[in-house]
Amino acid sequence: MSLRRFRNRTGKDQDFAEEIESHLDHEKDANLARGLSVEEARRQAHLRFGNPRTVRERVWRYRSFAWTEDLLRDLRFALRSLAKTPGFAMIAVVVIAVGIGVNTAVFSVIDTVLLKPLTYPSPQELVSLVNTGPRGSFPGASIPMFNLWHQQTSIFQQVAAYDFGGAGLNITGSDHPQQVEGVHVSADYFAMFGAPVIAGRTFTAAEDSPNGGHVTVLSYGLWKSRYGGNPNMVGSTIQLDGQPYLVVGVIGPGFQTDAPVDLWVPFQFDPNSKDMVFFFTAAARLKPGVSVPQANAQLRLAADQFRRMFGADSLPPGGGFGVVSLQQEVVGDTGSRLLVLLGAVAFVLLIACANVANLLLARAAARKREFATRAALGAGRGQIIRQLLVESLTLSLTGGLIGLGLGFAGVRLLLRINPGDIPRIGEDGAGITLDLRILLFTLGISLLTGIVFGLVPAISASRANLAVALNENGSHASMGVRSGKLRSVLVIAEMALTVVLVVGAALLIRTFMNLEAVDPGFTMHNVISMSMSVSGDRFQKTAPVAQIIQEGTDRLHGVPGVINAGVSNCLPMAGGFGMTFDVVGRPKGNSPFTGGAGFCSISYGYFNTLEVPLVRGRTFTKLDDSAAPIVAIINKSMARQYWPNGDPLKDRIVIGAGAGPAFAEGSRQIVGIVGDTHDGGPNNDPAPMMYIPLAQMPDLETALNSRVAPLWWFARTQVDPRTLSTPISTALREASGGLPVAHIRTMEEIEAENIARQRLNMLLLTVFGFAGLLMAAIGVYGVMSYSVQQRTQELGVRMALGAQASNLRNMVIRQGMTLTLIGVLIGAGGAFWLTRFLAGFLFEVKPLDPVSFIATPLVLSVVALFSIWVPAIRATRVDPMAALRIE
Amino acid sequence: MMMMMKRPPEAGEILQGTLDMLILRTLVLGPAHGHTIAQAIERTSENALEVEQGSLYPALHRLEDRDWVTSEWGVSENNRKAKFYRLTKKGRKELNAARGRWQRMTRAIGLILGESFE
Repeated sequence: MSLRRFRNRTGKDQDFAEEIESHLDHEKDANLARGLSVEEARRQAHLRFGNPRTVRERVWRYRSFAWTEDLLRDLRFALRSLAKTPGFAMIAVVVIAVGIGVNTAVFSVIDTVLLKPLTYPSPQELVSLVNTGPRGSFPGASIPMFNLWHQQTSIFQQVAAYDFGGAGLNITGSDHPQQVEGVHVSADYFAMFGAPVIAGRTFTAAEDSPNGGHVTVLSYGLWKSRYGGNPNMVGSTIQLDGQPYLVVGVIGPGFQTDAPVDLWVPFQFDPNSKDMVFFFTAAARLKPGVSVPQANAQLRLAADQFRRMFGADSLPPGGGFGVVSLQQEVVGDTGSRLLVLLGAVAFVLLIACANVANLLLARAAARKREFATRAALGAGRGQIIRQLLVESLTLSLTGGLIGLGLGFAGVRLLLRINPGDIPRIGEDGAGITLDLRILLFTLGISLLTGIVFGLVPAISASRANLAVALNENGSHASMGVRSGKLRSVLVIAEMALTVVLVVGAALLIRTFMNLEAVDPGFTMHNVISMSMSVSGDRFQKTAPVAQIIQEGTDRLHGVPGVINAGVSNCLPMAGGFGMTFDVVGRPKGNSPFTGGAGFCSISYGYFNTLEVPLVRGRTFTKLDDSAAPIVAIINKSMARQYWPNGDPLKDRIVIGAGAGPAFAEGSRQIVGIVGDTHDGGPNNDPAPMMYIPLAQMPDLETALNSRVAPLWWFARTQVDPRTLSTPISTALREASGGLPVAHIRTMEEIEAENIARQRLNMLLLTVFGFAGLLMAAIGVYGVMSYSVQQRTQELGVRMALGAQASNLRNMVIRQGMTLTLIGVLIGAGGAFWLTRFLAGFLFEVKPLDPVSFIATPLVLSVVALFSIWVPAIRATRVDPMAALRIE
Repeated sequence: MMMMMKRPPEAGEILQGTLDMLILRTLVLGPAHGHTIAQAIERTSENALEVEQGSLYPALHRLEDRDWVTSEWGVSENNRKAKFYRLTKKGRKELNAARGRWQRMTRAIGLILGESFE
């Protein structure tokens, strides 16, 4: 079949019209020749030819795809018909837009986090190097591990090391010192991630060796913002922490790391290092054709080699090395969380579908005569169904289009308010962009939605009995018992789905409330924190750091409004370091050490500033300096776990025995026990903790620390600490000889970030639950008002026969509540089964939490009762005379 | 494109499908416009066949789409503007094929029907 026949239809039609004219003229000529009058000749010609329009239409249709013509006609009709009931059309479109909007929103996050590949070239080859063990795998590496991995050239193209988070670096040497995200990397980092170099080059192997010199590579952002895109930047020198660094290259804007980076400096690992401390992460690019299992097999051999090189204890029992896909590592456990959300929004969409189907059924009832008339005029059942489906698809596609905008804008807005600890979405969700997958997804669910909620009413409407429908009085034509039952079923389904959603929301609300109620172990209110990077050569020994702490603390005490100030190398409630320890004089049995605990170095003002309660003994004082005997403080959990019967204050501990030269030190007398703090976040139980004075850290440990963590300053204030952030940061800069501070936040903000994930879950499910509740209420209201309207006569007769208004009201309420209760019961059963999938997201709430399971059905029933009340009251207002007169 | 026959064809009405063949046959004599073609068919069949003029043009357009005829505007013998159709090589080939098919069929039907039964 040639496609030519469909081309240029209008032009051909015009041409054909002329051809017909010409034919008629010739026929007229022939008739004139036969002796007819001009008028008669013309008439005969036309008579002979028939209706030119019909012929043209015939050719026109021959030149068209028949079904597109029909579809267009149906579409025109649908638009006309919807325009006649704008109220209905609007409600339906809004309900669908909400249903599709929430789905688009959640899917766009899933798309960004789970489906989009990493932005690096050939991302499937990138793997994260992890430590494997009987209790799962975790990232992190020591220099000897990295050196060994780097030699596995049979499986890896490149292996690169980079900082976990990093301590930050200070750009100095100008009037505006600036703390920047400076990341240490090994030389292969740029090649491995395929970072585009727009000026200069990246680090050479020589520059990444000990004594390789001070070199740095700038990010595009820093190059633009601090150096105005200076074209001569490469080859110039900048100052980092007082040291000159040669800029060797600039990376292009297309390179997006997961956490923002301002500049890179080389690690310069010692190839002969025996330092077993984990202080960075490593990733690798697999050779083409090498699979993850193959790489893992090779790394098992490497682990054996590692034990031979560094001793059997260099790896924990059963421990080894392995790789996992970098994308998987970045996404972590976010996947299951997003899938639960997807389940929740699918419920919202189902409720929306049930709701619109319900509206359509009511509408179809009102249009029964229209369908009957069309059927009488020869429309087949298929044609009526098609017509109604076109109507519902018009609604669903319009709703889908609005939902697309709504969901997309909504998710960006929501993530701006609450980022919710989701990886890969960029700052405030800026990483979420519209792509073909999202468009197809929305189009797909719009079509599906239109068919799902349109098909049942369409089939039901097309079943109308012609004769009955046409004879029936139009004003209360009904769709009969069948559609009434159908609508009841839909309402029950809506109720049931809503119960599941609201139970889920209730569980998450309770989780969030429990988390907020957790006592962090210190007083958060009116405490501000900020980071100071002590990364320069100046701070490779403990004494200068201790001096800055002393001077800074003194200065802060001089700032009006500041009550207390303290310093730590770890941020409360944000995790921290772990370290092994031995109790002096206690037999260790088979284990190489007594145990392990969290480890944090603090200043003497720390406990007072955060108001961590002292349980026994004393806290650190200014006198606990490098000259004094070395001491430690432990928390209650540690005392309970390791001294169940004894007295810790009588014992000494050796911290970090065997962890490497950085931690080599003598034994510390335990001088105090403090209260527990929730350092692993509020949803984790307090862990055993050891504290030592920052002033008593071994020099090597201070040097190591300066690379992995900044100093965190804390100040307790009398007023809102935000108002003092400028004088505090000025005081600290003056005290430290010009070190800038960054990451200025109150402890309450840090706490909020800690539970942002749970808050986002709660917010979303609450919104979904509320949307479901609203739609279910509209649904039950709709069905009951319709039923009351249908039964006007019946009610009138009853009233005329002496029924009391209260009887009628109760009758309507009874019917409505029956539907509600059936729905609620089914929903509770569904929730009973489904809430188990939420178990991992809950905190101190059981998936079968009685409060949620009792409160939700109650709330739902009350809402339903309110929705039924209006039609019930309307039933009592029926005027018997008017009702009977309609007959 | 086959159409269901809704009623039995009356005498003189041209069978579906045969009109194409008749048109092509007419155009063997040279290019002609629609009116001429209709008249030629009627006259050649000694007025036994009547061309339904409403079907003639759809047929012509169909033939043109199949490249069996081409068309161009010209001036008719009456000095009027008219669209002339011309048989193409492909059309001529099709005509021969259709003729062969038709003759085989009429012969076959003739064999079955045989003599008149009156």
